[in-house]
Amino acid sequence: MPEGRAAAAWGLVAKHAAAAGHRVSVADVCAVAVPSAGVSGAWVVAAGDQGPDFVICVTDPVSEQLAELQLTLGEGPCRDVLASASPVLASDLGDEQSGRRWPGFAAQARLLGAGALFAFPLTIGAIRAGVMGLYRGSPGPLSWERFGDALILADAATVLLLDGADHNGDGAAGPVLDGQSPGLALHRAEIDQATGMLTIQLNVPMAEAFARLRAYAYVHDRRLADVAADIVARRLRLHNDPGRAETS
Amino acid sequence: MDTELLSDTFIDLADTMVADFDVIDFLHMLADRSTQLLPVAAAGVLLADPRGQLRVAAASSEAAELVELFQIQDDQGPCLDCFRAGQPVSAPDLAGEEQRWPRFATAATQAGFTSVHALPMRLRDQVIGALNLFSAQTDPLGQADLRIGQALADVATIGLLQERNVRRAETLAEQLQVALNSRVVIEQAKGRLAERLGLDMDQAFALLRGQARNTNQRLTDVARYVIDSPTADFPTPAP
Repeated sequence: MPEGRAAAAWGLVAKHAAAAGHRVSVADVCAVAVPSAGVSGAWVVAAGDQGPDFVICVTDPVSEQLAELQLTLGEGPCRDVLASASPVLASDLGDEQSGRRWPGFAAQARLLGAGALFAFPLTIGAIRAGVMGLYRGSPGPLSWERFGDALILADAATVLLLDGADHNGDGAAGPVLDGQSPGLALHRAEIDQATGMLTIQLNVPMAEAFARLRAYAYVHDRRLADVAADIVARRLRLHNDPGRAETS
Repeated sequence: MDTELLSDTFIDLADTMVADFDVIDFLHMLADRSTQLLPVAAAGVLLADPRGQLRVAAASSEAAELVELFQIQDDQGPCLDCFRAGQPVSAPDLAGEEQRWPRFATAATQAGFTSVHALPMRLRDQVIGALNLFSAQTDPLGQADLRIGQALADVATIGLLQERNVRRAETLAEQLQVALNSRVVIEQAKGRLAERLGLDMDQAFALLRGQARNTNQRLTDVARYVIDSPTADFPTPAP
């Protein structure tokens, strides 16, 4: 059931990329997020450890202005998302709570035409890749179902950002498309444990450890969860020399 | 029944307005106290992820086979049935449940359990998760025990919402995602500690938790410290 839902979302993203004639990128995720979540626009901001950094993609001019405005003002839902690793669901930018929370941003966002704004952390535990923002012209909550779809698409954007698929438009988006949709098996304890183990084995940060784990699974045509289980059970170690993964 | 511990537990579960509230510590307390107050060997808390999954948030033990028993229930088992029906699901004797839950019943029996209960964590008409209780005896929980278990689950659900925010419908959705992401941070930290110190995941978790208790820090903060710090700074197991 859950695998089917994530696979369906990934299918839409891949289809969008194929129709546009390019490799899957975060822009495809944004484009799919608009009808999936029933919103007016979407954007993704990549972030380093210090907070939101730069806008990766937008679906329309209002999204671009909303994204830039938050970077300029240093306040808004997207900034809060990275601080807390919690989604921020501002279903009415005109209500008292939004006004109090973002005194500068809320008013200006409404002038730009945004009634509701939903921001999602692009995180996997301690790994932070950025923020996905959605806005709707009219206020109103995001249903539980659409919230779930937005989370699945945020997972997709996270993995694409970590794979570096958008830095030059020609990145390693391959693994996404070969049926090993990362959303399918992302949420298993062994994957997170194996990622943590690889930070020591390879002496790399968490984000790179995760990318290396996925790359290994892809190159060996194995499921991510199975590779992770082997690492956790200490049947497999990875080495910095890429040609030398050892099974012990 | 330890009535003093019972009343302390209700007070602790309701006391979530403290400044350093940590949702994972809170759910671990729910799992631990369930095993202390009820005749069960293990307890876990599964939360409903709006992505359409049931995910492990906390458990009384992090032994791999127990964690796997929780994870299987994303696919089949009492917690999934409980989540779907919004009602308690009981299997007082797992022998004979192979038809209902083939994978789950086999794995639970292999892990040494003979009975299982799942109690819904319910907020109005929405089920946000389940409290899962395992025992090595058949039919261990009487009606009074089950009522206490359900009361623990109910109070914990309310506590999760943090009273100060309860009027915002979005708060629950946001709070659950914080809990699920914190859980991932802890898993990553367990992996890092386990690899550095040659421990299994259960031992790594015990080390994290011991460090949190000894230094009066939140579990999530200790986990983040382990992830951010160079290896030389790791806590080491007590001799």
